Amino acid sequence: MHGITYYDLRQVTGSVTHIDIDNGRVESCGTAFFNKAVLRVLVNSGWGVLQIDNYTPSRGEKFEELLRQAARLARITDEEVRLGDAPRQILPIPPQKEDPRDVDIEEKSRLLGEIEAAVVREGIVNRRANYIEKDELVRFSDSSGTEYEYRMGRSGFNVLAVASRNGNVQMGYEREHSIHGFNLRHQQDCGRKAAETAVSLLDAIIPKGGKMQVVLDPELAGVFAHEAVGHASEGDLIQEGNSVLKGRIGERIGSDTLTIVDDPSLHEFGFDPVDAEGIAVQRTEIVKNGVINAFLHSRETLASVGNGCAGHARGMAGEPPLVRMSNTFIEAGDATKAEIFIECKNGIYLVGSRGGQVDPGRGVFQFNAEYGYLVENGECTTMVRDVSLSGDILSTLHQISLCGNERKMSPGYCGKGGQSVPVSDGAPFILLNDAVVGGSGVD
Amino acid sequence: MRWWVAVAWIEELIREAERSVDEVEVFYVEGESVAAELKQKKVSLATTTRDCGLGIRTIHEGRIGSSSTNDPAGWQDCLKAAIASGRLATPQEWGGLPGPADLPMTPLAWDPNIVVEPETARGLLATMLEGVAAYDAEVTAGSAGLSATRITLANSHGMRYTDRHTGVSVSLEAIHGLSTGYEFDSSWALDRIDPAHVGDRAGFFASESAKGTDIPTGAYDLLLSPLAWAELLGNVFVPALNGRSVHAGRSKFAGMLNQSVACEGLSLYDDPHRPGASGSTRWDAEGVPTRRIDYIRNGVLEAFAYDLKTAYRYGKESTANAARGGYGGLPGIGHHNLVADGKRSTVDDERVLFIHNLIGAHTANPLSGEFSVELSNAFFMEGGEFQEPVRSAMLSGNVFDLHFAIAGLGKDTRTVGSLILPSVKIKSQRIIGK
Repeated sequence: MHGITYYDLRQVTGSVTHIDIDNGRVESCGTAFFNKAVLRVLVNSGWGVLQIDNYTPSRGEKFEELLRQAARLARITDEEVRLGDAPRQILPIPPQKEDPRDVDIEEKSRLLGEIEAAVVREGIVNRRANYIEKDELVRFSDSSGTEYEYRMGRSGFNVLAVASRNGNVQMGYEREHSIHGFNLRHQQDCGRKAAETAVSLLDAIIPKGGKMQVVLDPELAGVFAHEAVGHASEGDLIQEGNSVLKGRIGERIGSDTLTIVDDPSLHEFGFDPVDAEGIAVQRTEIVKNGVINAFLHSRETLASVGNGCAGHARGMAGEPPLVRMSNTFIEAGDATKAEIFIECKNGIYLVGSRGGQVDPGRGVFQFNAEYGYLVENGECTTMVRDVSLSGDILSTLHQISLCGNERKMSPGYCGKGGQSVPVSDGAPFILLNDAVVGGSGVD
Repeated sequence: MRWWVAVAWIEELIREAERSVDEVEVFYVEGESVAAELKQKKVSLATTTRDCGLGIRTIHEGRIGSSSTNDPAGWQDCLKAAIASGRLATPQEWGGLPGPADLPMTPLAWDPNIVVEPETARGLLATMLEGVAAYDAEVTAGSAGLSATRITLANSHGMRYTDRHTGVSVSLEAIHGLSTGYEFDSSWALDRIDPAHVGDRAGFFASESAKGTDIPTGAYDLLLSPLAWAELLGNVFVPALNGRSVHAGRSKFAGMLNQSVACEGLSLYDDPHRPGASGSTRWDAEGVPTRRIDYIRNGVLEAFAYDLKTAYRYGKESTANAARGGYGGLPGIGHHNLVADGKRSTVDDERVLFIHNLIGAHTANPLSGEFSVELSNAFFMEGGEFQEPVRSAMLSGNVFDLHFAIAGLGKDTRTVGSLILPSVKIKSQRIIGK
């Protein structure tokens, strides 16, 4: 059939419901619909890919014509992609405690309004809350006869508080996103917390940058794992030669208590019941007891690179899948939070994340905290703001001197190649020795 | 006109909407694109995309509703969803959608020579590879893409505008040891990009930065490339000009009209009719005729950007800055061709730290302007020549303060997304060495 050696088709249909409340006004609120498909074909070649909006499932001659079009594209490629084999299985979707589709939009809007109203307090000049609910029906089939279909819902909210005093403008931000169902009820505390953070930051100082002892809270330590190790372990980057971890399986990268995992089967925000190539998802220990152990793979990168697990291919609706993280975390160690602060003694404690970025080929990463505190004699003292950290992938994990005994996951989105996918990151509290902290404060 | 008959359903949609709501606006986009990607030096993927999208906005008694779909045949459901969404919105002051203006419909950013075929994309990749060949660097990834899009904007006041856009983009990544180089280019016209130069720069930065060493913490005079400057402008400075953020108290520039917000040598304006620029258009996403808007003239803040919704709410006039990220959602506030300009001079004579790009600029505090980012491809420069490369360092500062420390604008001009800007020399900024 047109010399086709492999094809797969992944169609995602669904809807997105959103509510945007700004200073008490419902700015916009409603539902939009989408239907996108991506057809990938190999003809002993590289990929020929058709991205199709508004796809109608077709058979016979109509489908043949799509295959022919994709095959024509594949024939202009140079590479011969080989696909590794891996187990196929689809996991059950965890039940939602309350299905957001059963709650009418007026009620959602009212509940979000309550969270937004909880931001009101002295010093706050603006407040904003957003609700987002995505419902996706995914259908996959490939030339080997694998077929699956599943429905997934994700929903959650963000709330922003802006405080201002004499030209000093600061923000507090809270978010909750979940695969476990409707989560807008009884969340006013999130609004209050955002307001509290924003107002407190008006009196925070900007620390002086330099090397210091740093305690990361579980959310920021999770982003650290994501930026410092996760991206560089993605099989496509290894295959391209664009990762410092290439060829380093078996090398020690941190202490033997350190284990870093990506696990799409975990019931967190990055959960996938099956990957975008129909491969079973599984826990992958990227770093095991301080040693580089496995890379994250698609079928293509598994065959090309080896050393790791397929099941990590993910794609936005209508986009060809890429190797992506899902739920990425540092396993808990045995230190208590108190022990971590005592061991830190003098340094800085950083909380929450404003995101990060990595150049995996160079092995350099950067990420930013929402706020933090100076640590003096093991105690948190002055509040600090606008603090970033940067580091080198190959040396940074050796700087982890203590891992806390309780891990917590935080939801978010990760961008790569123009595609954004839901993920979660997590870790226990961790202590970093001699980390490079960026802050524009001066003595 | 022949084509208009083909979208008779838009007329039907408007007639249907008028039975239930005061006004309706239809945004319809249809396009095709192709892309080819390199994995190392081999073309590993070729893709074509056919997309279409319909965005409907309804206004009834000041309540604004919206919905979207990529199935135009399902416009009835989409319209129902838009009307339903409007019922939940808080009503606001509203002075009506614009009627049709007598505007030429010849496109400003459409290249008839762009043939959206994968072979063209493949050719662009080959030219980039020729550009990188002279350097001791391995190509890791690259891409080339072409697109052609037709946009229709229609509303219940008789507006029927159409526009066509083309796009071409290339990018290349290279590595030497632990040193990476990345470069890209994009335009609406095939002859306005230089893929060989993109290859050359990616190779140059990867191979030359490999010799980098660390530098001590301290204050340095900087030369930010247009790319590095665009990262700071785009993440912090430009959003502060958004009229909605200003009136909502989410902008540092609130209450600062007619005050100095940057050094005297800097002007910042939106020029929607700039010849050759990718964002050029005669009307904005709501159909308001576009015009030049001077936000900052000689360092003084003179204007903010408004769409109709924000303008009506706060008693201002639309600056024709409505923009859509896609067909979904409501139009927001953006810009067309945002030009940073001023007196140009030689900025690389005296010793400066040149910074090609930044890692993590999106983590800057958009309200206060504080940032600390990692440098990419930094070099000392003197007498117009690259000198010692810097391996790794952080730059910390405040984006708003930084614009008062501008010591000169270079003679180069580059387009980065919708920004058009030169290199900029900045006095005495804090660098944290390793």
